[in-house]
Amino acid sequence: MSQKHLSESESQMRQANLSRRRFLRGVGACIALPAMESFWPTGALAAETSAGALATTATGAPLRTAFVYFPNGAIPAAWWPSGQGRDFALNETMRSLETVKNNIQVISGLEHRTAIGGTDGGGDHARANGTFLTGVRLKKSATDLQAGPSIDQVMAQRIGHLTRLPSLELSCDYYRKSSGCDANYSCAYQYNISWKNATTPMAAEFNPRLAFERLFGTGSHGERAENYKRRKAQERSILDFVMADARAMNSRAGARDRDKLDQYLTGVRDIEKRIEKAEQFGAVADPDYATPNGVPVSYTQYVQLMYDMLALAFQTDSTRVASLLLAHDGSNLSFDEIGVTEGHHDISHHQNKPDLIKKVQKIETFYAEQFSRFLNNLNELKDPDGYSVLHNSQIVYGSGNADGNRHTHENLPMLLAGGGGGTLNAGRYVQNSATPASNLFVSMAQQAGLSDLTRFGDSTGALKNI
Amino acid sequence: MVRLRPDAWLSRKSVLVTGGLRRLAVAAFCATFTATVALAADPAAETAADTDASFKQIVRPILAANCFGCHADGSSSGGIAFDELETAGKLLDNHDVWHKVLKNVRSGIMPPPDDATLSAEDRGKLVDWIKRQAFRLDPAKPDPGQVTLRRLNRTEYRNTVRDLIGVDYKVTEQFPPDDTGHGFDNIADVLTISPMLLEKYMAAADSVVREAVPLVSRAPAETVINGSAFASPGVPARPRGKSNALTLSYYEPANVEHRVTIPQAGTYKIVLNVMAEGRYAERAFDYNRVEARFGIDGVEVLQKDYGWTGKQEYPYTFEKKWSAGEHLLSLDVKPITDLPARPGEMKLSLVSVQLVGPLETEHWTKPKNHERYFGKADVPTDPAARRDLAGKILTNFANRAFRRPIDSGTTDRLTALAESVYTLPTQTFEAGVAHAMTAILASPRFLFLQEAIHPQDAAEPFPRIDEFSLASRLSYFLWSTKPDEELTRLAAAGELRKNLKAQVDRMLKDWRANAFFENFPGQWLQARDVEQVQIERRRVMDRQQLVKFLIQSDSDYNALRTAMKRETVDYFAHIVKENRSLVELIDSNYTFLNERLARHYEIEGVTGDQMRRVELPANSPRGGVLTMGTVLMVTSNPTRTSPVKRGLFLLENVLGSPPPPPPPDIPSLETVKKSMADKQPTLRQTLEQHRADPSCMSCHTRMDPPGLALENFNALGVWRDNEGAQPIDPTGQLITGEKFQDIRELKKILARDHRPEFYRCITEKLLTYAIGRGVEHYDVETVDQIVEALERDDGKFMTLLTRIVESAPFQRRRGDTQPAPGTPLAQAQQPYHQTP
Repeated sequence: MSQKHLSESESQMRQANLSRRRFLRGVGACIALPAMESFWPTGALAAETSAGALATTATGAPLRTAFVYFPNGAIPAAWWPSGQGRDFALNETMRSLETVKNNIQVISGLEHRTAIGGTDGGGDHARANGTFLTGVRLKKSATDLQAGPSIDQVMAQRIGHLTRLPSLELSCDYYRKSSGCDANYSCAYQYNISWKNATTPMAAEFNPRLAFERLFGTGSHGERAENYKRRKAQERSILDFVMADARAMNSRAGARDRDKLDQYLTGVRDIEKRIEKAEQFGAVADPDYATPNGVPVSYTQYVQLMYDMLALAFQTDSTRVASLLLAHDGSNLSFDEIGVTEGHHDISHHQNKPDLIKKVQKIETFYAEQFSRFLNNLNELKDPDGYSVLHNSQIVYGSGNADGNRHTHENLPMLLAGGGGGTLNAGRYVQNSATPASNLFVSMAQQAGLSDLTRFGDSTGALKNI
Repeated sequence: MVRLRPDAWLSRKSVLVTGGLRRLAVAAFCATFTATVALAADPAAETAADTDASFKQIVRPILAANCFGCHADGSSSGGIAFDELETAGKLLDNHDVWHKVLKNVRSGIMPPPDDATLSAEDRGKLVDWIKRQAFRLDPAKPDPGQVTLRRLNRTEYRNTVRDLIGVDYKVTEQFPPDDTGHGFDNIADVLTISPMLLEKYMAAADSVVREAVPLVSRAPAETVINGSAFASPGVPARPRGKSNALTLSYYEPANVEHRVTIPQAGTYKIVLNVMAEGRYAERAFDYNRVEARFGIDGVEVLQKDYGWTGKQEYPYTFEKKWSAGEHLLSLDVKPITDLPARPGEMKLSLVSVQLVGPLETEHWTKPKNHERYFGKADVPTDPAARRDLAGKILTNFANRAFRRPIDSGTTDRLTALAESVYTLPTQTFEAGVAHAMTAILASPRFLFLQEAIHPQDAAEPFPRIDEFSLASRLSYFLWSTKPDEELTRLAAAGELRKNLKAQVDRMLKDWRANAFFENFPGQWLQARDVEQVQIERRRVMDRQQLVKFLIQSDSDYNALRTAMKRETVDYFAHIVKENRSLVELIDSNYTFLNERLARHYEIEGVTGDQMRRVELPANSPRGGVLTMGTVLMVTSNPTRTSPVKRGLFLLENVLGSPPPPPPPDIPSLETVKKSMADKQPTLRQTLEQHRADPSCMSCHTRMDPPGLALENFNALGVWRDNEGAQPIDPTGQLITGEKFQDIRELKKILARDHRPEFYRCITEKLLTYAIGRGVEHYDVETVDQIVEALERDDGKFMTLLTRIVESAPFQRRRGDTQPAPGTPLAQAQQPYHQTP
């Protein structure tokens, strides 16, 4: 009789019960993650020294960058803090962030002018979502995609070689309606914040189990590294075969077809690089964390699990760039678990009715609480340099819609969490005059060692005061 | 708004052109235009100059008289100012503008009915000019357009793998959702491949092959006993429904057993699979727990208890030395909490018991599927014979996977790949072949629908696609999967085109056509969404009503929504299979119901779960898609109906003339309601108030009346005469003038007076779905011809389908020399317009 199966099932069961209790308790400073030091693969450190200061803090720790999107904006009156600079008080929506107040900067004045309708007319949700990390005007088309590379992908391009995964794209939004999307924009704009280039959205992983297995291999704790190695070894000869097939097809293809084959070939090359890295980095990390089961029934658990995946990826230095789409802009999710039965999008057009505003705020507070839980977790995780993972990170939390009621894209609700390895001046409320959000991204890229990146999207420079 | 007289505009323009030049141009135009239009002659003689001349002579006066009031002289309603475009030299080549003009003029939206009337003659001239001159369409040789290299979407991948290798791969769990365009998930341009998706394709290939193909020649035998084979002692087991599992409850004790006879004594591995599943209901947590004990031959080997969990499978493995003969497997389930609160639905399922053995090597046998992939004979040991066998197996598999024959070079590469693995000391022949099969499933030739042109048409501007390509287009259109053997055989023999009609008929009778019946209306009418749409039924109905319609429990509510989806799917399938008129999609005196849905629709005399065709009582508001539960629910908000969404649905999916998207910062209905604080306005009155804003009026006068006609149905699709205390007023008037009393009359009007628009709409939708790209201006001729055929033929479904399958966009591609869509005329080569 197999002991292993029994103990694994039991641990999964405990896990399920544990997360269930956690959910019932509401948000607390609980640590879902294995309480151990971060482990950095030795290969990464070697690579880091040869590559200079890319995505590395002064102490040699990895500098992680993440972008988290929440949908439909935030009620401004409840979002913006009072006071300024170090002397500020969090407002209602962000109250749960009090425990990490010294690790965040609330930044006002950021905007995405490329999301404003102008001659493109309606479609603010598609634009809010699609421009959020790209800062470019989207081509208004149902099929002819034209966005831009997103900042996370621009960074991944340069620092992705340092880690097993160049970047990680996650989402808690997996259900797609039939029929078209916002105002004849392709749905690709509305469901993707990360874009490899103008025509290739980086579809995000929505299944926590698969996100975990992609990071650490299949199977249970103890056998994952071996499984991971086996898969990589097998893939190599297959890649040679399919690469030859793709090249042969490419030579016969027309221009548009070539675009598609390019996407395929890019994917093949990415996998090749990962196989090389697998050799370079040695055994993959195998955290003592039960592989998640899939998408949980409870949305709260779903969001928490995805944040855990992100935290695990950062803790194990599996990647240094990530994005997480909590829900697409225009999301009409209802929140039974917190007593809001109306659709989020429907009531975000609250027409200044106090009861509706209250409900929308409840949803926004929920999202902020989950983010707070994530930051608290990162704050508990220690890197070998003695600082927390949160200290060694820069994490944007924001929405491409400012006021969901009116679809505005100025003064976006955004905050920057983390200490950037000690270079960020956290613990402040920073008020700017109207500034492209892209400027913040330029600064973040520079923080991560892309010192020659001076322009991105519609930027007019770097955001200095962060 | 100030409207200038048309002649004022003309006289202002005319000073810009010198008199002599102008006369010349007109003279030149008269000669060519008479020839081309009057005789519908070969357009080869036309040139850009003709277009220009004919525009000035024929089109501009019509536009001036009917359109310039709002679209010229400083006015640019809807972003269109004809004079500015003309001055900038952008008018004649602007296909988008002309496509809009064509659609709006045809649907009677422009010019607005109470502003100006465009005579039928002028409309005809305008439409003709746009098709022949602006778009340069040749009715004899329609432009097929170009379909971009398309990858399989999730559904197609799943079905193709199923038909190729017999594995049901869980695509919705494994792959990210496909992006959609034009409302469908099979649009080539938006089906992208990110690096992560490619990784997933590689992993899927590996997992699919591992599941199907045995990696060894001999292994212990395996038997799976489904949970449904278990029953209480003395009670015969009977399989329940579709599931092979036996579902037990957390709240009821149960004792089930199964006796298995084994022919061979030896050591057996026994794997018990149970699944615990709790569901949320009423937003409360269920604290109940249950205990399970598993026994082998009367000896308890396992005792476990379970609390709340999402769907979670638990496998337990045991090993037993068994003698030959009968053995007893038993499972005891007992609630260990006795809590009165049972808000959830907690189930413990016995999924299966798997027997592996005897484990002793001398009893091993050929594993399952071995013969299917490696043939009857034993795998040879001679290297040359092995290579031969590998080559044969892999060529056969690749031919089917790639949906066209592979060349010998590919066979060689595949064989080498297999050999590189099976010649390793630790690897089997089977593992080598499986490895190469994995490569096949990861290849772009499998993942993309490759197309080739017909060898005889190499020099043609619009060559036919070859027969293998055609076989794939047909099978992915009607089956959402790869071609079967018959299609492939006909394609290989070059006989498919000759037998097209017969093959389409055969395909529609095949069970795989269910993919078409589900996927097309599932997306066109959004019927797919009804099972997911969030409607707060407890806010829409009171307890009494929930009881009356039997939807208090989640499972009843889910069953209702499944029945709704089936209604739409079965109804559409009926129209197809019986070759009914498309008009029945708008209005009919029958629909498809089971008892549950009939109760919802308040129709008597339908009993049982089975969906069946039901003749509707006289004067029933049901019949046709507009009054189906699917449509009524997916167009509602979570807590109330939305006449605007419903009206929009009708314009988009029935009449094919969707209004532009709304501007942001719309004064909401609730705000409007507030401004009418003195009384309790109905939804209709608030909408009327909202419409009073001129910027909202132009679209809402089109959307609201049909939407309001559907107000007799609540957000769950149940009939109602009142909303609250207010009686519902479903009367209204279409923008085209017809007045109606209620939805019944509206359906009659649509079915009688708006057939052409509906035919055009469904033709465009089906064409989009059939070829995986949006309908563009160069498709206007193709669509027009199909619509004309439908008008002649009472809108018979098979006319639509046959015409689409025979159309240029389905049968042909653009040759390599064709300009990309949207290339300005001046730069474009005109394949039919070349004169020696």
